[in-house]
Amino acid sequence: MKRSKIYLITTIILSSLVFNGCTNLDEEVYDKLPVGEFGGTEKEINALIAPIYRTLKGVFPSNFFLLSECSSDMAITPTRKGGDWWDGGQYKELRLHTWTPNTVIPRNAYNSAFTSITSCNKIFSLINENENIENKEQILAEIRGVRAYWYYLLLDNFGNVPIVTDFSDTQLPTTKSRKEVYDFVLKELNEIKDVVRDDVTSASYGKVTKGFVYTLLGKMYLNAMVWNPDGGAKWQETVDACNVVMTLPYILEPNWKDNFSVQNQTSQEVIFPIIYSTADGGNGLPQRTLHYLDPIALGLNIGANNGLSAMPGYVKAFDDDDKRKLGSFLIGPMTDPATGQTLITAHNRPLIHTVDIDMKYNIDGDGWGQTEQEDGARAAKWEFEKGLNGDSENDFAIFRLADVYLMKAEALVRMGVDNVEATRLVNEIRKRAFDDPSKLKTNVTLEDIYQERRFEFAWEGTTRQDMIRFGKFLDPIPGWKKATAEKYLIFPIPTTALDANPSLTQNPGY
Amino acid sequence: MILSTNNPNFRIFMQIGTCVLLILFLNIPLYASSAAFPIRGTVLDINGEPLIGVSVTEKGVNNATSTDNNGQFSLEVANENSILVFSYLGFSELEVSINGRATLNVTLIEDTQALEEVVVIGYGTQSRRNISGSITNVSEEDFNQGVNRTATDLLQGKVAGLTITKGSGDITNEQTIRLRGTSSLTGSSQPFVVIDGVPGLSMNSVAPQDIESISILKDASAAAIYGSRAASGVILITTKKGIESRPMIEYEGYAAVDRVANIPKVLSADQWRDYTSSHDINTEGIDRGANTSWFDEIMRTGVSQSHSLSMSGGGKSSTYRGSFSALDQQGVVRDNSMERYNGRLMFSQRALDDRLNLTFVGAITERNFSPTDTRNFVLAYNMVPVAPVKNDDGTWFDTQEYDQGNPLRNITYNKRDNKNSLFYGNIKADFNITEDFVAGISLLKQRESNDYGEYNDSQTERGRNDQGFAKRETWTADKRLLEATLNYKKIFDEHNFNFLAGYSYEDNYYQKNGAQNRQFVTDFFDYDNLGAGENLRPSDVWSEANMNKLISFFGRVNYVLQDRYTLTASIRRDGSSKFGANHKWGTFPAVSAAWILKEEGFLKDKDFFSDLKLRAGYGVSGNQAGFDPYRSLQLYGKSGQYYDDGKWYNAYQISQNANPNLKWEETSMFNVGIDYSILNNRLSGTIEYYSKETNDLLYTYKVSVPPYLYSDMLANVGSMTNKGIELVINGDIIRKDELVWNASFNLAHNKNRITSLSNDQFTTNSIKTGSAWIRGGSDNTTHIVEEGREVGTFYGWRFISLDSDGKYILDEMVDGKEGLTDEDRTYIGSAQPKLTYGFSSNLSYKNFDFGFFLRGVYGNDLLNFSRMSYATTQWLPGANVLEDALTNGLTDNPKYSSYYIEKGSFLRLDNATLAYNFDTGDVWGIRKFRVYVTGQNLFTITNYTGLDPEVQMSGLDPGVEGREYYPKTRTFSVGVNLSF
Repeated sequence: MKRSKIYLITTIILSSLVFNGCTNLDEEVYDKLPVGEFGGTEKEINALIAPIYRTLKGVFPSNFFLLSECSSDMAITPTRKGGDWWDGGQYKELRLHTWTPNTVIPRNAYNSAFTSITSCNKIFSLINENENIENKEQILAEIRGVRAYWYYLLLDNFGNVPIVTDFSDTQLPTTKSRKEVYDFVLKELNEIKDVVRDDVTSASYGKVTKGFVYTLLGKMYLNAMVWNPDGGAKWQETVDACNVVMTLPYILEPNWKDNFSVQNQTSQEVIFPIIYSTADGGNGLPQRTLHYLDPIALGLNIGANNGLSAMPGYVKAFDDDDKRKLGSFLIGPMTDPATGQTLITAHNRPLIHTVDIDMKYNIDGDGWGQTEQEDGARAAKWEFEKGLNGDSENDFAIFRLADVYLMKAEALVRMGVDNVEATRLVNEIRKRAFDDPSKLKTNVTLEDIYQERRFEFAWEGTTRQDMIRFGKFLDPIPGWKKATAEKYLIFPIPTTALDANPSLTQNPGY
Repeated sequence: MILSTNNPNFRIFMQIGTCVLLILFLNIPLYASSAAFPIRGTVLDINGEPLIGVSVTEKGVNNATSTDNNGQFSLEVANENSILVFSYLGFSELEVSINGRATLNVTLIEDTQALEEVVVIGYGTQSRRNISGSITNVSEEDFNQGVNRTATDLLQGKVAGLTITKGSGDITNEQTIRLRGTSSLTGSSQPFVVIDGVPGLSMNSVAPQDIESISILKDASAAAIYGSRAASGVILITTKKGIESRPMIEYEGYAAVDRVANIPKVLSADQWRDYTSSHDINTEGIDRGANTSWFDEIMRTGVSQSHSLSMSGGGKSSTYRGSFSALDQQGVVRDNSMERYNGRLMFSQRALDDRLNLTFVGAITERNFSPTDTRNFVLAYNMVPVAPVKNDDGTWFDTQEYDQGNPLRNITYNKRDNKNSLFYGNIKADFNITEDFVAGISLLKQRESNDYGEYNDSQTERGRNDQGFAKRETWTADKRLLEATLNYKKIFDEHNFNFLAGYSYEDNYYQKNGAQNRQFVTDFFDYDNLGAGENLRPSDVWSEANMNKLISFFGRVNYVLQDRYTLTASIRRDGSSKFGANHKWGTFPAVSAAWILKEEGFLKDKDFFSDLKLRAGYGVSGNQAGFDPYRSLQLYGKSGQYYDDGKWYNAYQISQNANPNLKWEETSMFNVGIDYSILNNRLSGTIEYYSKETNDLLYTYKVSVPPYLYSDMLANVGSMTNKGIELVINGDIIRKDELVWNASFNLAHNKNRITSLSNDQFTTNSIKTGSAWIRGGSDNTTHIVEEGREVGTFYGWRFISLDSDGKYILDEMVDGKEGLTDEDRTYIGSAQPKLTYGFSSNLSYKNFDFGFFLRGVYGNDLLNFSRMSYATTQWLPGANVLEDALTNGLTDNPKYSSYYIEKGSFLRLDNATLAYNFDTGDVWGIRKFRVYVTGQNLFTITNYTGLDPEVQMSGLDPGVEGREYYPKTRTFSVGVNLSF
């Protein structure tokens, strides 16, 4: 009896000890921050806002860039001899306009846009709820500006997409029409245009500023007939928006190449850049475009993949005297500095980048075939940094002043007013490109402006939008593609997005 | 820091430990006065080996005990003339009159009519006869011979339903272990390892030579006592112990040579030149007149040796065993090596009238190892055979062509070195409060740390872009464990009860730090002077830390009636800090029963059956290996940098979708089995059927963005089933004085099926997974995970034939429409075998014995990835290709299709050993002197055309021989076992 009593006590002691002392299962976190313990100081708040700008790294030279240049007649990722860059035919689909809701690049672009928008919404709500912030209204406007840019990309490329602005809303969103998206972006821009900072300084570089918002407004108005045809033309609004930007202290850099140099953050032409650094993930265009052996010739320490090339027709349209031709494209023999000889490819051919791209092996029924490794002019617009190891530092200008000049010129010509001013604006651009004054225009036409945009903005992610606005996007490209159906003016909503959210609607025709 | 007493966890840990110990000691005086006539002794077999679990009963009275791990017992009997009955299954019963003796040493004689064994189960041991769960026990004599690195190697192919796959010839790689199929989508289906009763240890912490036996708890009714970590089965390892009054020194050693069994059949220089000249290809500049086999250049004959020495024995109330093992192994690729040292000391002592048994175990494992850089295989495939290793002037030849570079130069100058130490100390105290009531406590402290150094020389393919790249990384993992158990057993009349109750507390702390740098002026430093690099980036230094805790309560009742009916029920309640706030605790019950039919009247006299037992069980267990700590929380993490007015600052961002509902995966398993033994025990074995269902499968499901921040979210959603049959036949074929022949055959079939991938929150129809990345073939997937299908289903286009131009004709009508699209992809194979089997035979004649072991799988498909990558002449002349390219006529763009899916069935002679046992005649006290030769992986019969049909089987994309596949080796070894 006595013994069992003691056992009972033992058991009680043991179990009480156990239940009280050691059933605590909270996690102690060491290398991450629990939400709620961050965002109290200005430094912390800046660190929280920063990801909205980091999202932009997904634009160039990434999916939206490829959507623009490889679906228009600017660029191509040809399948090389042996099958390099075949990749399931995704680049062929962009080139031939045969993409589907499963095509990889539009899918990745769509996902990157919504991931970025949701990040913006989350950061918006964090800032909005934070009591410690003084200039809250301006910070919120900054976030809305970046979000509006992402919606602008979706509006341009996908048209009909859901609009989500509240992170706390956990409902699966439904598709909104292109008109609604257009109106939403316009409303957002109009609400923030006088709230955001209006300086043009080294401190405002890479930030949402008045210059950025008005340039984006200009783009909205310029493309209004495409995106919201029922709303009518907005040419005067385009001119007005451009005029605001032109009153700000941006200048056309006298040396055009300064916009693309390694240290191009000093360019005063840049209105809104994506800022890159080798250390933090950067501009990977050289890897994408250069041949495996090009880095030897160019003195780079990178592994290149021999992908992206310029479409022959695009390059051939350049005037040989136009400095922008060799300023944009890598053409000709590539020399091994050690031997002075032209490098030799694995197919035992001299590494000479031709403008022409010749599909001569393994031709499919749709005409698609393999080209020689060395075919095609490569992207060389951004200065190659000697000894580069990794991604390059060169920032990418989403908007720069030259674009605003040509936007205004285009709107003026389309309205049929003030051709003198339009011609002056175009010539301001051409002056940098030619030493010979006879190359300047006297009376610009719409076609002149279209062509000028192509010379000025090769590889800058504007070609598709321009071709659609000028009604040329679906046209055949002799030797490359037939005329294509109207549905290809926007991309399909990816299957993965429809699977994850059954409330979405597919774009017409897909 | 962690060990400081300021740490609240540590204080709690120590408090509990102290209290439990205190309680044990407080109980001491309670039981000191109830003795009548104490008797104690040891029970041995005729070889002098102690017998464990022998039932010792006072005749005619309800008073009994059983022998402990050292074969010892103690009992109080009524008086000095009492009679003790010793019974032990497989041995003849013995009655001994005490006749006033205080100690009694008894030898039991084996009853060949009924072989019996005691089997280690979770938190205890049990007589094989009374086991009701599905447990397979493999003891030392059945272990695989030859070069064995870990306990896993000892078991490969031996246990029906336990699939052990070496996915690579890399000697530093861990094997994939799957018990009764894959039961997780996260790829973490490794069984839980328990060593000498201590749960959650690493297989590496014990040298194979120290292992006495291994029990595999196959069904949930046996494994559920280990709760939320037991769903993939439990492996219980029992190490060798010292035996009282039997001092012994043992030496085991071997030397082995490894040769690669198969190397990729790429074109030789002659074949390359034949092809280029017959196709009018200008090779000037490419053909440098060399004749190089790049695979031969990077490979070698690996030489290995292993030595293991142990000392064991014991005094009157103590036993000890100490051992030290050293293994030095070379892989067949020149940069692949491992050195391992295992030390182990076990000391056990009884005190307080033998009521207290204290055991101390210290174990240390040190490994220095270098895994192969598999990049060099890619280079060896691609480098042309007409390029030299070195130029005429003695400098290295190299090239910057895509996927090319000198692999031997990489291997010669680059380093990937790990120094890993693992040590633990474990103290166990068992206290007999009464002879039927035992309290036990076990305390463990373990630390594993790893120091990694990597250097890529500035002149090599790996390091040339960085101009030299150096990296160091170290991590430390600390584990503390406290377990307290109470064991009570009661026998009255025909009823035999055994109760177990326990508590367990475990915490794990992990920390890591590392740094890397690049651009070195000189390659002199290797990874030893990171500061000498000239291109340090912000992300080049890092550190991290995490922790998790697991707290458990468990209990078990075992009831045996008439030594004929067994009923076992257990329950465990596990709480883990990793689980989400809404599911911190899980309960895992199990029940099983066994019925020894042989004991029933209708079979008792039937000579045909020597034994027949029927058992059935059901249990629920969990798996929580699929996620790291903190996955349920909303956290900010550093997220790169941002630029502000000329300077860069760190950005912070929410790092994941928080999921407060996160919890374990739950597997419920039903198991039914028959253990039979017929024809005078000549033929025995087991037939089992099981059906398991796993729910709440963890997976990073796709979610809509928005409302979620990220498109991936770890959640418990799907479910899958595994059903199977296992068959074991052991034959005792010849049993003569000089000639003994035993054979064993095991066969298992498992059918995996995914039953759901959706719930009310997440909807997933299918997961297309696995990367078919080959040159020119990005963004392809190889496998599908889909409701109604099994894990490992290949999904792609169906190949019909090649057309006259060498282009694929693929079935484009799968979707009913012309034109080849993604919708034409379909199910083109399954990586899961229909059958796995093993056959072993042991023949001994006089002093010789000869054993061999065959192992195989049947009915699976494999993806021959290297053929998909390299079997096309299109890469010629600048890159090499497989011989197959010369004949297959292929010219098309790279496409993944059933063209590359092959039958994977194989039969392998895994092991053959010839040994000679010398008649030592006790010369110099030598007890055993055995020499042997072993061959491993001697031949493989298969229709598979790749390097080896046995490939990596883990994850959701199993069954792929990748283009970085490290070929398997063939091993010959010579060894000696000596004991005295």
